[in-house]
Amino acid sequence: MKKLIFPILLLALLPSCEKDDICDPSRPTTSRLIVTFYDNDNPTVPKNVNQLQVTALGMENPYKTFSGVSSIELPLRTAEDVTAYRMVLNSNDPANDNTDVLTFTYERQTQYVSRACGYKTVFELSPTAPVALGDADEPDGLWIKSISIENYDVRTEDETHIAIYY
Amino acid sequence: MSGRKMRLISLFIISLLWVDAAAQDAPAADTLPKKERYGLRVGADLYKLARSFYDKDYRGIELVGDFRITKKFYLAAELGNEEKTTTEPNLNFTTSGSFIKAGFDYNTYENWLDMENMIYVGLRYGVSSFSQTLNSYSIYNPNPYFNEVVLIEPGTKFKGLTASWAEVVAGVKVEVLSNLYVGFSARLYILVSDKKPETFDNLYIPGFNRTYEGSFGVGFNYTVSYFIPIFKN
Repeated sequence: MKKLIFPILLLALLPSCEKDDICDPSRPTTSRLIVTFYDNDNPTVPKNVNQLQVTALGMENPYKTFSGVSSIELPLRTAEDVTAYRMVLNSNDPANDNTDVLTFTYERQTQYVSRACGYKTVFELSPTAPVALGDADEPDGLWIKSISIENYDVRTEDETHIAIYY
Repeated sequence: MSGRKMRLISLFIISLLWVDAAAQDAPAADTLPKKERYGLRVGADLYKLARSFYDKDYRGIELVGDFRITKKFYLAAELGNEEKTTTEPNLNFTTSGSFIKAGFDYNTYENWLDMENMIYVGLRYGVSSFSQTLNSYSIYNPNPYFNEVVLIEPGTKFKGLTASWAEVVAGVKVEVLSNLYVGFSARLYILVSDKKPETFDNLYIPGFNRTYEGSFGVGFNYTVSYFIPIFKN
């Protein structure tokens, strides 16, 4: 029995000695805005986007081009309270593409995470004007039909914050 | 039996008796109460002292003391002050404060003759009062897209922080010169209370050292101390 005590004591210690020098990717840090697309004719059914290229206004390079997914992630600026994205649907087809501009307005808060991760920013979408929809500089009509806010609190990427119907 | 043989045998018997008597003498001397010295031993942790010279991000001192109360038990305490700047990939902070630990040591070593060495185990309760200064931090962003300056240097000082812990000690103390001891001890800490800043954490606690996600911590000291005899028993 006495021989068992030491290994048991060691086992009890192990979880506390795990390496915490590297920020664990599964730990929620600064979250992106999760946008989910739905069929405007059938609003409960998610609808995949085709060649949706997203570029923040003021940035030269697109963040990403999404295709074959109904849910996308958009980074928000952590140094400003407004982030606008140019959303180009069918971006690989110049004859058929369509650009809309989404402007997100929010409040920011800095929160402590851990030794390895440091701090993160959490966002709270503005209760009065969380998102504004606009057309491209050269108007080509709106492909986005309507927008609803599912979650004003942007602190995890596990749930949809904004739903878009098209 | 010749007279010569008789003499030899009686000599042998006498010698046996004499040896026996001598042998009986020794235990008699041993049962006399051994002089045990009681007193105060005071010293300092050489590791903290040395580190203060070679590590520019560290300044610390720890005074140690024990007082023998029974053959095996010693009241023991440590008292100190530390200032340490810690650099992490996304954080830089300075911890500054004082600590005191009090408890007892139990000597498990059976000394020969009048030696007074120790191989001991002990328990302590430690308390610390300190401040944390957040020198700089960065906002962790796993998906960088915007060219944002993420390093922020607030220099915020969080004052009035406290922590307390229980401590298990194992160590040795060896008398190297008359009344002069060197010692080494390893310590395991279990955090009992931890008053953290609202927007930061206690990642280092004076006297406790680095904290982990759980409540355990580890430490050691390397001491030189001087024994002041007060009475003999």
